[in-house]
Amino acid sequence: MRLKKVLALGLVGAMAISMAACGKTSSSTDNGGSGNAGTSNETVSLRVWGGEEDQNLLKELVEKFKTTYPDQKFNIEIGVESESTAKDTVLTDVEAAADVFAFASDQIVDLNNAKALANIEDMDAALQNYAKKSVADIKAANGDGSVEAASIDGKLMAFPMTGGNGYFLYYDSSVISEEDAATWDTLLAAADKAGKKVGMTLASGWYDASFFYGAGFTTGLNDDGTTAIDFNGTSKDGYTGVQVTQSMLNIASNKAFMAIADGDISNQIAGGTLAAVVSGTWDAENAQKVFGNGYAAAKLPTYTLDGKQVQQGSVSGYKFLGVNAYSKNVGWATVLAEFLTNEESQATRFEQRQLAPTNKKVAASDEVSKNVAIAASAAQDAYGVIQTVSAKYWDPAKTFGEMIAQGSISATDEKAIQDALDTMVEGAKAAVE
Amino acid sequence: MANNKKTPSKAIGRFFKGIGGFFAEFGTAVSKGDIFTKLSLIWMGAGYARHKQFIKAAIMTVLEAAVILFSILFASQYVPKFGTLGTVQAEMIFDPVTMKNIMNDYDNSFKILLYSLICFVVWIAFFFVWIKNTINSYKIQVKADKGEHINTFIEDIRMYKDEKFHITLLTLPVLGIVIFTVIPILLLILVAFTNYDQNHMPPSSLFSWVGLSNFVKLFGGGGMTSTFGYSFVRILGWTLLWAFFATFTTYIGGILLSLLINNKRTKLPKLWRTLFVVTIAVPQFVSLLLVRNFFANGGIVNTFCKAIGLTGWLRDIGLISTSYIPFLSAPGWAHVMIILINIWIGVPYQMLIATGVLMNLPADQIESARIDGARPRQIFAKITMPYMLFITGPTLITDFVKNINNFNVIYLLTEGVYTTTNQALANSQAKEVDLLVTWLFRLTQDYYNYKMASAIGIVVFIICAVFTLVAFNKMIKGDREETFQ
Repeated sequence: MRLKKVLALGLVGAMAISMAACGKTSSSTDNGGSGNAGTSNETVSLRVWGGEEDQNLLKELVEKFKTTYPDQKFNIEIGVESESTAKDTVLTDVEAAADVFAFASDQIVDLNNAKALANIEDMDAALQNYAKKSVADIKAANGDGSVEAASIDGKLMAFPMTGGNGYFLYYDSSVISEEDAATWDTLLAAADKAGKKVGMTLASGWYDASFFYGAGFTTGLNDDGTTAIDFNGTSKDGYTGVQVTQSMLNIASNKAFMAIADGDISNQIAGGTLAAVVSGTWDAENAQKVFGNGYAAAKLPTYTLDGKQVQQGSVSGYKFLGVNAYSKNVGWATVLAEFLTNEESQATRFEQRQLAPTNKKVAASDEVSKNVAIAASAAQDAYGVIQTVSAKYWDPAKTFGEMIAQGSISATDEKAIQDALDTMVEGAKAAVE
Repeated sequence: MANNKKTPSKAIGRFFKGIGGFFAEFGTAVSKGDIFTKLSLIWMGAGYARHKQFIKAAIMTVLEAAVILFSILFASQYVPKFGTLGTVQAEMIFDPVTMKNIMNDYDNSFKILLYSLICFVVWIAFFFVWIKNTINSYKIQVKADKGEHINTFIEDIRMYKDEKFHITLLTLPVLGIVIFTVIPILLLILVAFTNYDQNHMPPSSLFSWVGLSNFVKLFGGGGMTSTFGYSFVRILGWTLLWAFFATFTTYIGGILLSLLINNKRTKLPKLWRTLFVVTIAVPQFVSLLLVRNFFANGGIVNTFCKAIGLTGWLRDIGLISTSYIPFLSAPGWAHVMIILINIWIGVPYQMLIATGVLMNLPADQIESARIDGARPRQIFAKITMPYMLFITGPTLITDFVKNINNFNVIYLLTEGVYTTTNQALANSQAKEVDLLVTWLFRLTQDYYNYKMASAIGIVVFIICAVFTLVAFNKMIKGDREETFQ
């Protein structure tokens, strides 16, 4: 009898503990930046988050950082957090997030809304003292586009790290000539002749806006954080949103065009049915493998809009290093972030990872300009815009692109197109909540 | 079983009577108690100390002191701000000398909400201990007056090993449920009445109480551009439809499959059973993601259908307008596919349950039915199915509720593949194939819209709770057990 009771008690205890285990999923990671370090004789604890592929590089650069400041003791931890998901993890618990983290440029609006980013301009004194640079120096050293994208209301909120995170055209030059790749019409015709396809993602607010940007439409942020968007009206170049949509529908309905689901581009390139594809530097290796000797890249083609040829726009993408506003050692975190994105570090990053630098000097070097993908990306950046939109923009824009991809609206039905544009704009403009 | 036959209204009546009795006892204790019992209202150890139960007195005193200290040191930081959820915004100034940010003493709305809630739970628990304590000291006083034996501490402890063993047993699980289930649920309920969203995210921003406005919005009374109400109705419809089909297709499928495998004419029943169980052995993550890729727009199945001309034929008869079969990417198609795929992964579980039940079928009944000339179909309809339903009824209900919240199947099959072309749904971040729970997940994960997610969560909870209560009551009512004896 007694044994049974002991057993029952044990089981019940185990149950309670297992319940505890279930409930504990969100246990926050230890806040590394604890303790009250700061004066030079105390150890400064910092945590850095970067992509998985960047870990070795980060390790090397952090060691270099430590030797640059031999008077200061550091305890720097490097963690894995993809640039594409950094925002989600950081915003889940800002106070427990890393002191320095890498993120893609489209996340800067949300991160800034949550005031998770330290204002770099406020750190000017720290940078001048330790990095021997002012914020103005940093702004001058990096490309204008990257600095603009990393700034909000003219204030630098993160350090530009890599560029070339936008999209452009890869093509197989054994099928498509350089002249063919200049316009969508000739591009599709050439691909069709070879029995191949031209792929692009339409169901994504990041890709489908490129046609609108090319025609002079704009997006931006209002003071209340909502998206300002004019796709349903008339652009400054005098085109209407309906005309742009008709052009897109004409391209999408061409039988040599292949609408690719968002995130499926790499798979489709590997599939081998494509003669050309709109993608970014992350697919360079992939495209090189499939296209072989024909591997080529160029700016995006022009497209026919209202009888004229209009250069397709794009979204310029960058990757930044942000400093956590709630970092316990925000000054040293800023100095570290600056170090990881300075000229030498960007050169090392290009050597090891083939990532386009934002630093003007590194970008001008011979090795960088010889890189086919980076060169095409830079050529397209001339027509690229910096896309600052609220979170409400993405789903309506994605659905709009999918409607074009599936051809669920007709190019001749102008009223239906106008209605679809109005609904999308209304959704994108909705109050952020 | 006798207790279970009581109707719910009587059960609720008894519950309130119990609470009433508890407070009545407290009233008697206070009015009729001696000075020490009355003193134990202030010093909880007083009654015990008077009757020489010093260890108990010490424990109660320490407990009381601990709660008072907790209230002064911890609760006072948060509970007074509970009404506003904080008023001081975070501000920081960088100090170049220390290389650190100087922060003001800012309020964190979420911490205020969470810690206040914990304080309330502690206080409520303490309140009941306090009342019980007064009643106990009165009881001891009565015993002492009558000259009865008063337990020593050791004897009290021994009681928890014997007569009161159920209390000892239940303490840990109850604590576990309160900490890991009740507090999170209460927190979720509270968040539904605040404006905790992307614009009001702690620690940088504060959020505050907004009353019922989230629910008004959810049911269609929201702002001009909000299509939440529209999406909610559609998603709720599909959620219920899905739960119904997912539950019944796998249930019937499982029974039929196990009948088939258990049939005397089936060769190698163990082999077949094992083959089906293998589906369970592979984690759903793996199998569902694989299946998703098979049926993707450019997946293997589509390539195959194109090669054999099925795609072209479907396009000719006007069933599809795309150059691929939108198995998982168009409404209608995706809905049917999801239910079919769910049959494939759900049937083996039901088959195992059904096999167990079928092995225990009353053989004598079947035997006599057969002698009376019943056909196999009649036996199935009149004996097997009613018996199955009786035994597995409760699991059927829990399966239905589980399917309402079946996150895995829907999310893994459609995320990244399905893009809605319904703009009204897109404007509130929903898709035709979303269940309430996957919609809720995306709202919190991608849009930080915690307030709406909580409101939806409450609605899901109410739906599940009402359904379960009604269904269980219907099932348990009557003496159906006897019909199978």
